[in-house]
Amino acid sequence: MGEGLRHVARHPLRSILTAFTSAIAIAVTVNVISLSFGMQADIAGDVDLFGRRTIDVGVPPALAPGAPVPALGDAEVARMSELLVGLEPIVVPRRQRASPVRAAADTEAVPQRMQLVAAPPAYVETLSIPLAYGRWLVEADDALPAPNACVLDHAAAARLFADPAAAVGAEVELGLDGALRRMRVVGVLADPMRYRELFEIFDEGEGARTLTSSLLSFRNVYVPARTFGGGAYTGVSIVLPDDEAVLEAQARLIRVWADASDLRALSGSSLIVFVRRQWMEALGASTMQGSMLGNIVWLLIVLVAAVMISTLNLITVRERYDEVALRRCEGARRVDIAMQITFEGMTTAVIGGLAGLPIGYFGASVMRSIVGFPFRFELRYAIAATGVAVLLGLLSSVVPARHAAALQPARVLGRRLR
Amino acid sequence: MSPVPHDPLRVEDCDAGGEALALLEGAARTYRSGAVAVEALQPVNLCVRRGDFLAVMGPSGSGKSTLLHVLGCLDRPTAGRYLLDGRDVSALADRELAAVRNATIGFVFQRFHLLADESAVRNVALPLLYAGVGRVERARRAAEALESVGLGPRMAHRPNQMSGGEQQRVALARALVKRPRLLLADEPTGNLDTVSGERVLSLIQAENAQGTAVIMITHDPEVAARAETTLLMRDGRLMAGPRPV
Ligand SMILES: Nc1ncnc2c1ncn2[C@@H]1O[C@H](COP(=O)(O)OP(=O)(O)OP(=O)(O)O)[C@@H](O)[C@H]1O
Ligand SMILES: [Mg+2]
Repeated sequence: MGEGLRHVARHPLRSILTAFTSAIAIAVTVNVISLSFGMQADIAGDVDLFGRRTIDVGVPPALAPGAPVPALGDAEVARMSELLVGLEPIVVPRRQRASPVRAAADTEAVPQRMQLVAAPPAYVETLSIPLAYGRWLVEADDALPAPNACVLDHAAAARLFADPAAAVGAEVELGLDGALRRMRVVGVLADPMRYRELFEIFDEGEGARTLTSSLLSFRNVYVPARTFGGGAYTGVSIVLPDDEAVLEAQARLIRVWADASDLRALSGSSLIVFVRRQWMEALGASTMQGSMLGNIVWLLIVLVAAVMISTLNLITVRERYDEVALRRCEGARRVDIAMQITFEGMTTAVIGGLAGLPIGYFGASVMRSIVGFPFRFELRYAIAATGVAVLLGLLSSVVPARHAAALQPARVLGRRLR
Repeated sequence: MSPVPHDPLRVEDCDAGGEALALLEGAARTYRSGAVAVEALQPVNLCVRRGDFLAVMGPSGSGKSTLLHVLGCLDRPTAGRYLLDGRDVSALADRELAAVRNATIGFVFQRFHLLADESAVRNVALPLLYAGVGRVERARRAAEALESVGLGPRMAHRPNQMSGGEQQRVALARALVKRPRLLLADEPTGNLDTVSGERVLSLIQAENAQGTAVIMITHDPEVAARAETTLLMRDGRLMAGPRPV
């Protein structure tokens, strides 16, 4: 280490240039790593909130025209509980429908289309999203002749009220079966999404709702089970105690109904069994592809840096022919010379790289504040980036080290320089 | 001084004495660049024994340095043999030559070749680094070598803080710190004034008196006169020179 630092001190300007090049490369590395890996880690974390251990059984979303709608009633729910005996499942049926909603106090407002979810209190188990304000629905809310309590998800509260915190206690109007129903907001869910904007792309606007957007809990209004309609359920959510139980439950359920991962099932006429975690993993894989581009840019920059640093190192070696020749006279082997040059190169690159870490961190925070992009910085990313700096130092020492090692001392001493 | 004076150009003498340190047998060095071949060193016989002190004189470009580089294992002869300490080194691998240089040969050059950014003591310790000597021992021996050339008080100085004569003494200490059996000096006084040159020469002579064989290139007949024998190089050929004045 001492030798490497002495080398830096010996050629301050060139070392600064080298270190600067390395710093830029490492800054970009930190940027790309913290953006792409960070985004993935965050998405995985966010997505976990949507029920990692939940299986949904429902009507296929793309029911073929004319195909019979599969029945989903109490008989089916009972069948599920029976199939899953021993797995400690929580089985929660729900009914869902779209409805115009507005804040009762705001009569001017145009009602917004939202999703009403009528479910028993256990439904909260299927979401891993905590409550931000107020409370969740309880049995008593359903006991009234006309239930009038509701819970908003964060997106819904944000749309209806300027301040989601103020929603608790306020009233909303729902359009149900042609009549307006007033419901009192008793709770608001936390916003599970750190990077909601990123997921908004999955939400196809006001009317069109996708399976994805409903899972991601966009603009849902949760109401007691008896709020509307008897008859068929829209879906059943099943919560299991652990990942293993999820797989076992999936295996048992698909003996009777179709597996959602079989794409043909999505338009078939069987109920489909949808494991949320598998969908999340697919989502993770697609963000991985998105970060490929960033990685290519990063790789190119590191390569360019390697070429530049190689050139600088080569110039330094060319100025040190005398030194190299002398060391060889005194007993240095070729490998000693190569190692010395490599070590010196690595020291400078690593020093630059370490300087690049905060630069990259700062750059990424600036980017985040401008474009609101997800970004995460962790110690292991810093370690990875330092590793890249070491590699960069190694890579850019190959040519100079070989050049120095190949030097023939007799020629240098005879002033024939090489 | 060698116990029995001998003619270094007569290899037979050497064999008879049985104490050849460096033995060139028809060793030659030809440089080739494309179709042109420069015979920098014509086949030469040379016998150097322990305690010898040879001076080599000759015009510029006559091949003196080439001879020294071959003797110093910095260059391999393109023909003939080179036996160093009874071992044929003409065909050794680079790695082994490095070890031989490190263990057996000391170099002193006209232009000192000190590492400009290192202190005197670190410069002197350099060969020991490649010999794998530990840090403390390196420093101790380097300090000792500097003392022996009268530079004890300049230990921490850098080359640019020293006069030419002092720098050459540092270089000499560096050559001697590894206790070489053969000291090769290529115009060691070429860049020095008479007084400094004199000081370096007497140090070299003192080392020779300890039994270290010395081969010294010089253009100065007075300097050559310090040697036991003077050889002459001309057009790559080595011949007997004028007797000491
Ligand atoms: N690497 C080389 N390639 C080609 N020719 C060389 C090489 N090294 C030396 N020569 C040639 O060999 C001859 C001897 O060179 P050398 O350096 O040994 O001379 P010298 O006697 O030391 O001269 P000087 O007194 O100027 O130092 C010269 O003609 C030189 O041009
Ligand atoms: Mg010469």
